Amino acid sequence: MPDDGAPMPVTADLAIVGAGPAGMAAACVAAELGLATVVIDEQPAPGGQIYRGVERALPDSPLGPDYLAGREVVAAFRACGAEYRPETAVWHIDPDGTLAVMAGGHSDTVAARHVILATGALERPLPIPGWTLPGVMTAGAAQILLKTADLVPDGRAVLAGQGPLLYLAAAQLARAGATPAAILETAPHANYHAAARRVGAAWACRRDIAKGLALIRELRRAGVPIRRGVRGLRAVGRERVEGVAWDGGELAADLVLVHDGVIPDTQIARALAVAHEWDDAQLCWRPVLDEWGGTSAPRIAVAGDGGGIAGAAAAALSGRLAALGAAAALGHIDTAERDRRAAPIRAGLARERAARGFLDALCRPAREALVPADDTVTVCRCEEVTAGGIRRAARLGAQGPNQAKAFTRCGMGPCQGRLCGPLVAAIIADEHGLSPEAVGTYRPRAPYKPITLAALAGLREDP
Amino acid sequence: MRRFDAIVIGGGLVGAAIAYGLAREGMVPALIDEGDIAYRASRGNFGLVWVQSKGLGAPHYQRWTRRSAEEWPALAAELFARTGVAVGHERPGGVHLCLSRAEFAERRVRMEQMRRESGNFGFDYRMLGHDEVAALLPGIGPAVVGASFTAYDGHANSLALLHALHRGFVGRGGVYLPNRTITEAVAAPRDFRLGAGAEEIGAPVVVLAAGLGNAALAPRFGLSAPVRPQRGQILVTERAGRVMAMPTTTVRQTLEGGIMIGDSQEDVGFDTGQRIDVMRAMAHRAVLSFPWLAGLQIVRAWAALRVMPPDGVPIYDQSERFPGAFTANCHSGVTLTGVHANVFAPMVAAGALDPALAPFSARRFDVPQAA
Repeated sequence: MPDDGAPMPVTADLAIVGAGPAGMAAACVAAELGLATVVIDEQPAPGGQIYRGVERALPDSPLGPDYLAGREVVAAFRACGAEYRPETAVWHIDPDGTLAVMAGGHSDTVAARHVILATGALERPLPIPGWTLPGVMTAGAAQILLKTADLVPDGRAVLAGQGPLLYLAAAQLARAGATPAAILETAPHANYHAAARRVGAAWACRRDIAKGLALIRELRRAGVPIRRGVRGLRAVGRERVEGVAWDGGELAADLVLVHDGVIPDTQIARALAVAHEWDDAQLCWRPVLDEWGGTSAPRIAVAGDGGGIAGAAAAALSGRLAALGAAAALGHIDTAERDRRAAPIRAGLARERAARGFLDALCRPAREALVPADDTVTVCRCEEVTAGGIRRAARLGAQGPNQAKAFTRCGMGPCQGRLCGPLVAAIIADEHGLSPEAVGTYRPRAPYKPITLAALAGLREDP
Repeated sequence: MRRFDAIVIGGGLVGAAIAYGLAREGMVPALIDEGDIAYRASRGNFGLVWVQSKGLGAPHYQRWTRRSAEEWPALAAELFARTGVAVGHERPGGVHLCLSRAEFAERRVRMEQMRRESGNFGFDYRMLGHDEVAALLPGIGPAVVGASFTAYDGHANSLALLHALHRGFVGRGGVYLPNRTITEAVAAPRDFRLGAGAEEIGAPVVVLAAGLGNAALAPRFGLSAPVRPQRGQILVTERAGRVMAMPTTTVRQTLEGGIMIGDSQEDVGFDTGQRIDVMRAMAHRAVLSFPWLAGLQIVRAWAALRVMPPDGVPIYDQSERFPGAFTANCHSGVTLTGVHANVFAPMVAAGALDPALAPFSARRFDVPQAA
């Protein structure tokens, strides 16, 4: 009965979730090797976050040459022969390789022999007091508006936090005519010393360092004040944000763009219960992967920043490796062929990763950004649970995020704990004097993205 | 070795309710719990305080459930007064919707048998036609042929209940010991020593309320708890205006406004995975029951394992070999919270189960099976 009207499942050798650098690169390799490949993407066009909207970008885009380089990558992907399903969300994956997807209010399934998760990264939440005020958003969200709608903010914009994206977004806004009023950097001074000690890594990423320094020079020329070592940051305002304050200063602002680096989006991998490990350099969880991106679950691989933050170039390389692994696992190439093709990719990946230690040390979040000291700070925005509420649950005996969730409803809203998960774990760890590793994470469940009952029931919403 | 008046093993709804009840009796109990990840049936509960379909063929279970529903209002009020946590208990009556004539006929037979078996105790139910159901629950679909109704049924917020019991337990001087598994158990009459994590604790009374964990624990205390897992899946939608006046067996609206859809039953062993076909079947039935649900977004879903005795009837027992050891096993942790806190716990505190609970003993499974 319930199966009446349900579409027949599409079958594929390989399903790739996400069409950013990793997903596109994996698709190109897989298609070349003859795998029937389907790429499922929530965005309307390929590119992921970094190349979002790049096909419609003008040659003089304020987003810069690194962004425009994405046009060739996307064009190659479009031509590779993989089936591309835009505006399609994966809401469940069965361990047998069946993906439940939803597009246009309708759900169907894709049966794949192998799955590569290329879901990328998300911005680490920066839970300063006042971060839920209207007018406070993430730097990444501001970039999306710029990429997709050419929208630049009105009024005085202040960028606060740390990480390469903070400076990049500031420079892009300045080029687009919305010069920020200030940049408030929260990275601890100790980070500079820690990074400076990593001479080898610094040399390996000298091009990135040069780009970063050029961005800072550009911002200074544009007259953007940069304040370093900011502590006690908070957004202030009544109905909406009116300014920012920190220990020893304050500034009026109409828009506050916060950013504290990015962390892997592990929601689907977590829901599939594959093994994860704590990365103490990047202060985040990531799936345990073999050299082909394979997880502890058969059939399921991870490529790109979803397996650990390493940037777009590394993501593309890990995508190609994951595709080679899939092709060999499915018998399209033998292991000798796989290894021959992988050797140069692996060398390139090693170079990219060598540079990472420097950036990780330089961009390590301040402790006060990970664990809000103020009990009134909202931690779970969906269910309006405060840091104090989480601390009380921990004191009552909650040993981890899942018990805290049962006690406070944190993580039960539409975002399914994607945003508050790291915060809740960090607060509980702090309260019990444990490492975040010991405390663990939410166990996310389907639906990864909200789906209507009608779509799930296989019924048509419109008669 | 730390000594307590009693040790309750299992921090879910059953263990927390009993531990709360023991603390209220003036004892200082320890409540031993696992860590953040465990087969937590209590966190997957649908939240019904449900009477009308419990205890077919087992009149003692029917009475026990009814008794619990009677205890519920006072317990909910007491928990709120003591902890400030509102457990959202309501008792507006409830219906079981029938989506075909065959389902309706089958339900009528079942309800009539419940009434017969209730004896002098009585069991008031009504079989309602489509229009009568529509008067109680506006918005039902044309597929609804009818429903069974009793006034005994209600619902509550099961997570708030778990929270309130824990708070109330700690507030009355109970000691919560999480992140522990029982590594060692030395049983003697009214003298139990347990290795719980790195620590040894002792008490003259031990209550096994570890859900599926009871199966392995019980024999060490001269008890038997042959429970097995039965998977149930639940869907929860975004919040909608409060429209449902009463819960049904498969669809209910929470006080916050979200619609919960539940009651799948699968025998799949220790597997809390979610399956597309089951979720689809649940959504399909819910939309047939209430077509207006179709446009609502499902924001959460989960699967959990029920604690299922072989005949579906709870197991309550006391050890003959080691007096002072008790066990409680059931799949209706919310419904039975009333009796667990208010009836079962006082019996344990007094040292022995009431003979009225004898039919719940696991000895009922010892009867040789006819070939």
